[in-house]
Amino acid sequence: MALPQAASVLALSLTLACLGGGRVALGQEPSAHQQPSVSGEGETKPAPAPAAPTVVSPPSVSPLAADAEAVDVTLSPECRVPGSKLYTLARLVAVKAALKEKRPVRVLAIGSSTMGLGASATYPVKLETALERSLPDVDVVVESRGLQGEIASGAGERLRGMVAELEPDLVIWQVGSHDALARVDLEAFGSALDETVQWIKGHEIDVVLVSPVYTASLAKDTYYTNLVRKVQDVALREGVPLVQRYEAMRYLAHRNDKGEGHLLGTQFRLNDLGLRCMAEHVTRAITLSLLQPDPAATGSAGRPALTLAPPKDAASVKGPPAPTGP
Amino acid sequence: MREPNAVDFWRGLALVTIFVNHIPGNTFERYTYSQYGISDAAELFVFLAGWSIGIATRNRDGTPEPRLKTVLRLLSRTIEVYRAQITTMALALAMIAGTALLLDNPLLLEWHNAGGFFADPIQTMVGFVLLTHQLGFFNILPLYVVLLGIAPVFVLIGRRSRLAALALSFGLYAASLVFEWNLPSWPGEGDWFFDPLCWQLLLVLGFTAQDWSRTSPWLKRWAHRLVPVGVLIVLTGIVLSVLELRPDPLLVPDPRLVFTFDKTYLSPARLIHFLGVLLAFQTLYAVLAPRLGWVTTFLASLGRNSLAVFSIGSLLSLAAQLVRFWTGGGVVVDVFVVGFGLFALGFTAWFVEWRSRKPRLSSP
Repeated sequence: MALPQAASVLALSLTLACLGGGRVALGQEPSAHQQPSVSGEGETKPAPAPAAPTVVSPPSVSPLAADAEAVDVTLSPECRVPGSKLYTLARLVAVKAALKEKRPVRVLAIGSSTMGLGASATYPVKLETALERSLPDVDVVVESRGLQGEIASGAGERLRGMVAELEPDLVIWQVGSHDALARVDLEAFGSALDETVQWIKGHEIDVVLVSPVYTASLAKDTYYTNLVRKVQDVALREGVPLVQRYEAMRYLAHRNDKGEGHLLGTQFRLNDLGLRCMAEHVTRAITLSLLQPDPAATGSAGRPALTLAPPKDAASVKGPPAPTGP
Repeated sequence: MREPNAVDFWRGLALVTIFVNHIPGNTFERYTYSQYGISDAAELFVFLAGWSIGIATRNRDGTPEPRLKTVLRLLSRTIEVYRAQITTMALALAMIAGTALLLDNPLLLEWHNAGGFFADPIQTMVGFVLLTHQLGFFNILPLYVVLLGIAPVFVLIGRRSRLAALALSFGLYAASLVFEWNLPSWPGEGDWFFDPLCWQLLLVLGFTAQDWSRTSPWLKRWAHRLVPVGVLIVLTGIVLSVLELRPDPLLVPDPRLVFTFDKTYLSPARLIHFLGVLLAFQTLYAVLAPRLGWVTTFLASLGRNSLAVFSIGSLLSLAAQLVRFWTGGGVVVDVFVVGFGLFALGFTAWFVEWRSRKPRLSSP
């Protein structure tokens, strides 16, 4: 096994150990007590499962640094963001089932800008490569589709058509840009998104949401920040993983701030970086979500699907009850 | 300039509806008829385009014009529409990029499928002229280019036998539904938003219906008798869309497109609903026209100049979207952008007619 892979396996199993002791964080930046250190709390008895937690925000998964705010070093240098800023996790049942059955994982990537720079480096291609790299011996097939229109008016319906056409195991959905551009009513947006996510999950297909981009000119736009929060709320309520593109890009923006904010195009370079990093960020969230304790693992079927995680760790974790949508 | 007539009037209404519906989230959206039915203005627009082809390819006394002339006429119209699509897309992309620069806001670059153009211009430029890269809301004209391109086949077959033209058209439609045939998008994955292989059926229905109604009293009689059926279909459509009742695409039997309400493939439910609308409203123009006064004149003038009005309308919708985003929207902004847009559509129609009336100036 190559060294980076070994490191990532180590990181993953450590994460898993942490999850046993870690409490739930609800899509926000975890506060100090939610950050079990990698070295200590892995062996502690898990606390009784809280009543209705759904999304677990893990601490840093870096095997090198126990600091909660340390960046995730498994990412490429320019894309490094602390895990707490990058994602909230939840279980991915359908993908796990596909892994268990040893069949290819079919992924439908839906988003407004599905392309990256250059033909060989488009987002779907990068995503497929990154997923296959982090899930060795697994065949991942990524199909991507642009989705025109607002979820609050009809795009959710078209998405259903796409899902029915491709019947994927996992839908990775960059959501919210078009609704933000049309400034649709936030309640209407939230309930339409909620409904569509419920529908996808109802058909035993996993969903990962990706929040819209961060850009300085919108940082003080309350409508926009509320819309980003709405996406978080829905991810939390429906118990689906969320890639916080907004938070991640904000972090990258501040880290890369070289005091040239006045120059035309600074935001555009950031956007470019955000696009380049998205495949990695999404992959990270998916890989970690796959290590979420399986509810079946606490019952009779004790073996987790993913061989990346040592089975005993997974079995020892008494995870929260199955987070299903209302 | 011809007098207002039913075709121009309804086409004008479809143009106004498309303009308003292409400003998503705006206050007036909920007052368009698209919100109260399974089909919408796009069906009406394509059907009436077919109807107009029927009128344009015959002389006034109903005798068909020479075949070669028909082919050349449709070819010339295809080129005109293609040119309109290229021009409006170029302007739209520049409007999006310009606004993104002005507001220092790259989110705008993600505007309905424009992202690909800015992220990957080399491939997308090729897709742009091949019509395989389409912006959201700018995907009706590519459909129209393909439909006009294949129209001569159906028109010429229809001269021999209307039934043969209809059968061929319906066969292609049904096969595309069952086997999910569509033209591909490129670069990027996926297919066209409006599948020409399915939507051609409406065009062919349009011109065969025009031809048939010209000669057959039987068709007219039955169309009148079936008005109640049309009304029933329209009412059903209202109930279904208000209650948001529609089949779940993952639960319907195969072939699923036959059962879902799918716009891309013009699924049968949309087609039946549109035919119902047609039956229910066929005689309404005669009732409305004298009572609406200047509204009739206005809508008919838009309908007479549909390509110019549609092109300007799509740019105005985009401008309205950008203004709404920049200002934050609200009723006042909506009244302003929609009001200004309607005025500009009217001006466009007037201007086109003024230009064609005016004796040509000698070239500079």
